[in-house]
Amino acid sequence: MQPTAGIILAVVALPFLGAAAVPLLYRVIGERTAYFAAAVAAACFALIATQFGAEGAISVRWIPALDVSLSLYVDGLALLIGFLASGVGVLIFTYSGGYMHNEPGKPRYYATLLAFMGAMLGIAFAADLIALFVFWELTSVASFILIGHYRDESGQYAARKSMFVTVSGGLFMLIGFLLLHWVALDVASVESAFRLAGEGSMLASADAMQTALREQGLLVPVLLLIGIGAAAKSAQVPLHIWLPDAMEAPTPVSAFLHSATMVKAGVYLVGRMRPLLVTDEWVLLFALLGLVTMTITAMLAVTASDIKELLAYSTASHLGLIVAGYGIASSADAHIGLLGAETGAFHVLNHALFKATLFLVAGIIAHEAGTRAIEELGGLSDDLPLTAGITVVAALGMAGVPPFNGFYSKEFLFDATYELAAHDGGLWWLLPVVAVFGSIFTFLYSIRFLMLFFGEKPEELGHVHEPPWSMRGPPLLLAVGAGIVGLGGITATAGFHLPIEEFVGRIVESSLPAGEEAHFSYHIPTTLSPPVLMSGVTVAVGAVAYPFYDGIRDGLRAVRDLGPLRPNWYYNGATALMDTNEIGPQIHNGLLRTYALWFLGGTSALALAGYVAATVSIPTFSGLTVTIPLGIVLVVAIIGAAAVTGAPSHVAGVLTLSILGFMVAIFYILADAPDLALTQLVIETLVLVIFLLVIDKLPAFYGGSKRWMLVRDGAASLAVGTTVMVTVLLSTARTPGVPSYLDHSLKSFFIERAPPPPEHGSFIIDSGGGHNIVNVILVDFRAFDTLGEISVVAMAALSIVTLIAMQQRGEI
Amino acid sequence: MTQFVLAVVLGLLFALGTFLVLRKDLVRVVWGLTIMSQTANVYLVTMGGLTGGVPIISGHGGQGTEVTDPLVQALVLTAIVIGFGTTAFALGLSYRVYQTNETIDLTEVRG
Repeated sequence: MQPTAGIILAVVALPFLGAAAVPLLYRVIGERTAYFAAAVAAACFALIATQFGAEGAISVRWIPALDVSLSLYVDGLALLIGFLASGVGVLIFTYSGGYMHNEPGKPRYYATLLAFMGAMLGIAFAADLIALFVFWELTSVASFILIGHYRDESGQYAARKSMFVTVSGGLFMLIGFLLLHWVALDVASVESAFRLAGEGSMLASADAMQTALREQGLLVPVLLLIGIGAAAKSAQVPLHIWLPDAMEAPTPVSAFLHSATMVKAGVYLVGRMRPLLVTDEWVLLFALLGLVTMTITAMLAVTASDIKELLAYSTASHLGLIVAGYGIASSADAHIGLLGAETGAFHVLNHALFKATLFLVAGIIAHEAGTRAIEELGGLSDDLPLTAGITVVAALGMAGVPPFNGFYSKEFLFDATYELAAHDGGLWWLLPVVAVFGSIFTFLYSIRFLMLFFGEKPEELGHVHEPPWSMRGPPLLLAVGAGIVGLGGITATAGFHLPIEEFVGRIVESSLPAGEEAHFSYHIPTTLSPPVLMSGVTVAVGAVAYPFYDGIRDGLRAVRDLGPLRPNWYYNGATALMDTNEIGPQIHNGLLRTYALWFLGGTSALALAGYVAATVSIPTFSGLTVTIPLGIVLVVAIIGAAAVTGAPSHVAGVLTLSILGFMVAIFYILADAPDLALTQLVIETLVLVIFLLVIDKLPAFYGGSKRWMLVRDGAASLAVGTTVMVTVLLSTARTPGVPSYLDHSLKSFFIERAPPPPEHGSFIIDSGGGHNIVNVILVDFRAFDTLGEISVVAMAALSIVTLIAMQQRGEI
Repeated sequence: MTQFVLAVVLGLLFALGTFLVLRKDLVRVVWGLTIMSQTANVYLVTMGGLTGGVPIISGHGGQGTEVTDPLVQALVLTAIVIGFGTTAFALGLSYRVYQTNETIDLTEVRG
């Protein structure tokens, strides 16, 4: 089935429109904006649901003259990310309605969150590398704003850090994209060299692209560049450092951006690029990256002292699992590649279900118990029975205990690593070993999280209230989803297959080479196979080790705290210079004159350097003849301007300023520009009135400057003035060339076309209809200039209203 | 030649504008900006060459006397209005700065 263009476009556009409406809407409906946002997300979800089963590209002509079109692509993977972004979105907005009660900055919060959702949907459906990149960076910006929501020092540090890591990762990715584009230009079967998916795209001729990449020696650079982009976004070691800090954001944001969706963008990219780039180098890079991340961050999660920190590291760890899954393939045996893709695709779904649930549970705990410290929590199940039940399903899924959902995708990973090792032998045997080793820590911290609800309740915790239903409903629904996926394995063992299998199969196919089909199915293992044994070892060792949790944690903490082993140590070292309060205030000293001086001086220096580099010589002018009227006007203008500079009061300055203005008007008359003169006279009068109105309200401040300051500013001004003089001399001595699309100069083009031609009456298309050429240019040929000009005046008016009227009402 | 004189005058005007922008009295900064934008407009008109007549044609077709460059005039016309918008906005902003900080001394209203 072909996707419907209108629907997919609406899905991407709706959240942005919603975001634009939030500031106004918030004034009317207040906190219920949360439910408006939830409704927008629900609408997107419903629209995406109508496209279920669709596959293919749609293209909307955007600027036909330049052959620019907006193209979107729908397939299993795109639908999955679309469902996650909108579906989890509905729950997160509903949950926010309860959680964000009494929190500051709600309009900004909802607008940003909606815009983020739009950007995420954009990433999911983008069929074009440039569009993908733009949406990708938009999510980074949204994440930056949301992490810094509370605007305290640690929030700002965290926001900067995440922005720095993810955006610079994105820039690496952009270079990778450009290299891909460059290679695609030479591949005959690729019609549009920026098109990633759909007909005539890179993915459609993946083999030819791969051959071309390898021939040009660009395969490894492209892999690395795109890998860095994905790793930065999906918090892979050693770029994971921003994710734990990102927990400064309000908890619904952590659940939405930093577990279910935004961090999935990186693994989405890996899954999307897989058919194009999968090679032996791919396997080496991503299988290793994923498994190393999975293990290291699982160990870090054990060291966590805060429940959100634990979940953040755990998220990085599970993203590692997904990356490892997508990373595993083999050129010799397609079955191994299938297992790898199944791991990645299935775990994207499973992880979103259980991890978003757990974040929302963490939000409930923090909200109701008033603390997030693991040490201070315990025995919560008495007070929060429903939440405890939810946590059992989600945490056991995270631990990979059968029959909960995470178990199945972990089985696929074990199977894939085992098969690859059995096939290739040698060092590849490390893969299954590392996978099991990392999973043991996953099991440990999952159980630790679960034990917040059981065991003894600390005295000082007091009675913990149940949260409102708006906060209990969303995690409950997510946990039911996770539970159904888990049940699907049991029913499949009994011979009854849930439609989830079909859906996941479609996602898997997105990451397989073209033409390969995935008959996806998962079930409880009934025979003893190597992966079952690996799961058994994981759970058994985990269960035996759990009583020694505190000891393990302290041991890991000791290792973790060794400076040079921590990526943060390098990050903080590298950014210390910029972050400290030494350099910043030197550059940004808050004085307008500093900025003006740098700007004007810099521009002058660049202009002069340009003239020197181009070795232009100042044209010679003989004589200094000026007509008498012009001479008088110019002299008066300069006297006026000089008088402004030395004006003893504001009123005197304004009056002398208008002398200059009126002289300019007379100059326009002398320069044969009657329209300009008229405009200038009107505007000058208006400016004078406005100046007088405002100056009346301002104090009669007259700042005396020290002599050395006057000398310094005078010298700087003279330098700028000299540059202007040189520029005027150089540019007026030249006449512009004839544009290539015209057979004569622009000037004669307008002069010829402005008046109505004799053979037509007074109304035609390719000519103007007036005798005043300037007027014709403004309304016919360059009407957009006029539109822009009106917009500027409107914007200025609106801004003044906002600045002054809103302040008087005490709104900003 | 006229161009040379104009170049000197424009340079001087721009220097005076720059000098005003570097002052600490906010109103003077706005004056400086106004002078700079006026200067830029005159510069654009000067670039048109200052030769030829008023760009208004009588009759059909592009015949008749040589006229001056109409395009720069169209551009400057837009620029004058936009300059007005920015000046008005700058004044509104100055008023707001005074309301918030109770001074228009820029050395005291550091961000």
